[in-house]
Amino acid sequence: MPDVTGAYLRPETLDAALDVLASGDVTVAAGCTDLFPATERRELPGRVLDITGIQELSGISVEEGGLRLGAATSWTAILRADLPPALRALQLAAREVGAMQIQNRGTLAGNLCNASPAADGVPPLLVVDAEVELRSISGTRRLPLADFLTGPRRTARRSDELLTAIFIPQTALAGNSYFLKLGARSYLVISIAMTAARMVIEDGIVTDAALAVGACGPVATRLPEVERALVGHPLRADAITDAAVARTLSPIDDVRADAGYRSRSAAELLRRTVKALVTPSERAA
Amino acid sequence: MTSEPVTTTVELAGKAYTLRAAPARRLSEVLREELGLKSVKVGCDAGDCGACTVLIDGAQHCACLTPLAQADGRRIETLETVEPELSARLQQAFLQHGAAQCGICTPGFMMAAIELLRADPTPDRPTVEAALGGVLCRCTGYRKIVSAVMAVGGEGADPVVPSPGQAVGRSIPRVDG
Repeated sequence: MPDVTGAYLRPETLDAALDVLASGDVTVAAGCTDLFPATERRELPGRVLDITGIQELSGISVEEGGLRLGAATSWTAILRADLPPALRALQLAAREVGAMQIQNRGTLAGNLCNASPAADGVPPLLVVDAEVELRSISGTRRLPLADFLTGPRRTARRSDELLTAIFIPQTALAGNSYFLKLGARSYLVISIAMTAARMVIEDGIVTDAALAVGACGPVATRLPEVERALVGHPLRADAITDAAVARTLSPIDDVRADAGYRSRSAAELLRRTVKALVTPSERAA
Repeated sequence: MTSEPVTTTVELAGKAYTLRAAPARRLSEVLREELGLKSVKVGCDAGDCGACTVLIDGAQHCACLTPLAQADGRRIETLETVEPELSARLQQAFLQHGAAQCGICTPGFMMAAIELLRADPTPDRPTVEAALGGVLCRCTGYRKIVSAVMAVGGEGADPVVPSPGQAVGRSIPRVDG
């Protein structure tokens, strides 16, 4: 049994980290870009499990049935990786998380586990049907990302579990994708709304469409009604109507924008997102 | 719970420094209080301002968001430790372009600029803006700072501020607005 006592633990193996998690109350830390802003103290409070020493949690690998993104992979690593066009939206989001100082530290799993409604990583992962892998000393389970995020700052992760990887199924790696973020400035800004889209277009006809909106409800969401309206036709951005988008979203008024502005912005961002991800010859309007 | 001090070794200016401090402590605090590197400014302690930007293994990070444990064995650079020739050219450009006013953001901008200029000595404006995007300035309006960084690589606008000693009694061109 490894040593699980102490206030700051930085194990080098996943098994050791899972033992620490099983031993009781502990905060999982990686890039600390959300943990440090949550305290005014000079150090991270409470008992800390720092997972940045565990090599196998970082990096991107091809595995049977899809692509595996390590939990502690940084935004900068995502940005620099050679990824398929279906993950271009994720790479565009990586460039807009905070700024370079944040992208060098912040991790994919941190963005998901922090579970901010405005997490930039979520819409691009929703459009590729991402699943999260959760491990504990009692086993491993996989959950669709949409089921993992249960509310603002709430996830389905048990306290003894570690989010170890994000898995993208091969079937969702088809097509091209794009991401747009609306904020008050280009860097160091929390999103008012952001949109991701992934489309498969064959012979000028949309055969698969995945759209997602973030920061316009308790959790980011797919838009099945709007997606259905696009499939089977040449791509027409104006098939994405304000009314259909508004029916799916439940934005709030806050210091960054009011609900009505968010809803209208999301619809316009979606139209611009789908226009941006197709080549001119694939575009009907 | 407070983490007990542990022995940590960081590389600064080519030398290994060993210190005992709590592993959960902000690197910004340790650099300032334990190592006396006061160019590292603390503005927000939340990653919102970039004033504490340092280079870790050559890449810009907010020191306030870095627990000391994650600096162990890494190469840390602050404005005190970077190559003097490049920092002198940057200082001169900041001076000539009026890019420093109250000054609290200046070391952060310079560290972000140094990472960029090492990789790309003649960056274009969008590249400079992206590299400096994580540092806030509430005085200058950014244009002067971006111009100063571009001037180091020989691009951008001509200097607008007269040399020291030549300003009294002369009108100085307005840079912004």
